[in-house]
Amino acid sequence: MADPKDVENDITVLPDGLHVTAVGEETLLKALGRAGLRYRVGCKRGGCGVCKLHLLAGEVRYERPVADSVLSDDERVEGICLSCRAVPLTNVVVELQEGDRLRRVLGFLTKGTP
Amino acid sequence: MSKVIRLGYVHLRVTDLEESRNHYSNTLGMEVVASEPGKLYLKCWDEWDHHSLVLEEGGVGLVKLGYKVESSEAMTEFESRAQRFGVTTGRFSAGENLTVGEGVRITLPSEHNIELYTEMEYAGTETGAINPEAWPRNVRGVGTHWIDHALMPCEDPGLNERFLSEVLDFKTAERVVTSMEEPEVIGTWMSCGESPHDIAFIKGPNGKLHHFAYHLEDWSSILKAGDIFAMDDVPIDIGPTRHGITRGTTIYFFDPAGNRNEVFAGLGYRVQHDFPTINWTVDHLAKGIFYHARELNDAFTSVFT
Repeated sequence: MADPKDVENDITVLPDGLHVTAVGEETLLKALGRAGLRYRVGCKRGGCGVCKLHLLAGEVRYERPVADSVLSDDERVEGICLSCRAVPLTNVVVELQEGDRLRRVLGFLTKGTP
Repeated sequence: MSKVIRLGYVHLRVTDLEESRNHYSNTLGMEVVASEPGKLYLKCWDEWDHHSLVLEEGGVGLVKLGYKVESSEAMTEFESRAQRFGVTTGRFSAGENLTVGEGVRITLPSEHNIELYTEMEYAGTETGAINPEAWPRNVRGVGTHWIDHALMPCEDPGLNERFLSEVLDFKTAERVVTSMEEPEVIGTWMSCGESPHDIAFIKGPNGKLHHFAYHLEDWSSILKAGDIFAMDDVPIDIGPTRHGITRGTTIYFFDPAGNRNEVFAGLGYRVQHDFPTINWTVDHLAKGIFYHARELNDAFTSVFT
């Protein structure tokens, strides 16, 4: 079995359709950040829920406890994930919250849109 | 001046107690003075009472704030005024909070729980009260001096301001209003002594925490704190910068559970008995909060725990 540190999962970010690779135990937030992408985030530590994304396909896991007041069971069932804590287990497709958009802060790292 | 002395303790929920121990103890430099299963008690080196922070594992956000009061008579007077105001009050007995005497529990109009008490076990500062050195040589990390104030969101800051003023004799140092002609209160910074604020409220959801703050000596300590946050990978919300409101220099940052903390320096002025309340109109709110950038970030009005 492959070392978890070497596992790579593809993240598709909608609505742009951009692809980012998550390496090892990186969270969604970390992987997008490493690719030079920014979106709406808050505390980055699982406390506020501002960085929630729609998880449209694939699976994630939480290595740290997440408070029910931040991400409820109903939200998990509806496919909402907390991107600062969620680590992809498989290739995933996520969509930004309505009204949010990706900003590219390291242009030389990302090609195409946005 | 109020017979409330200061914000004596903050009782906080955290998702992972060990991560939080590391943050509050090693990064900020507080001392763990007691522990129970699922709970840690901590104090800063410059504080003399037993503890100022209680961390409880499970969830995020605020359990309650403790404010120390001068005397039992004052506490009883505050209790009866709170009842006349029409909020829920209760009594707690000595020992219900570790090393804390009996007291009065008040639920603010904003659903935040405040505990008034007069006694907590005396521990002494780390430098002592006889011929003290300026600071302890073994101070860790940021070396926070003391817990200074807390700011909470609430649906009606004007009502909380009236409560704190009429019931607990706090004085409004600064407030943000919609306009000077129709002054609906959007935010209020209130003092029980001479510091620019011991408690503050801004418009938002009831019952939650915006941040609680640690006093640091000066602007260079704020810069050094920022360096330590970089070394320890602590997410910074904003700063180092200055607040227009209170003139304090600041960094907002997050603990490992996402609760916002602040390091705050500079007692820019004293709130004396005849201090004229400073009003900010809401069109200048951004400058009042972040004096240099003059722009609010998304997080300021959306990130609560």
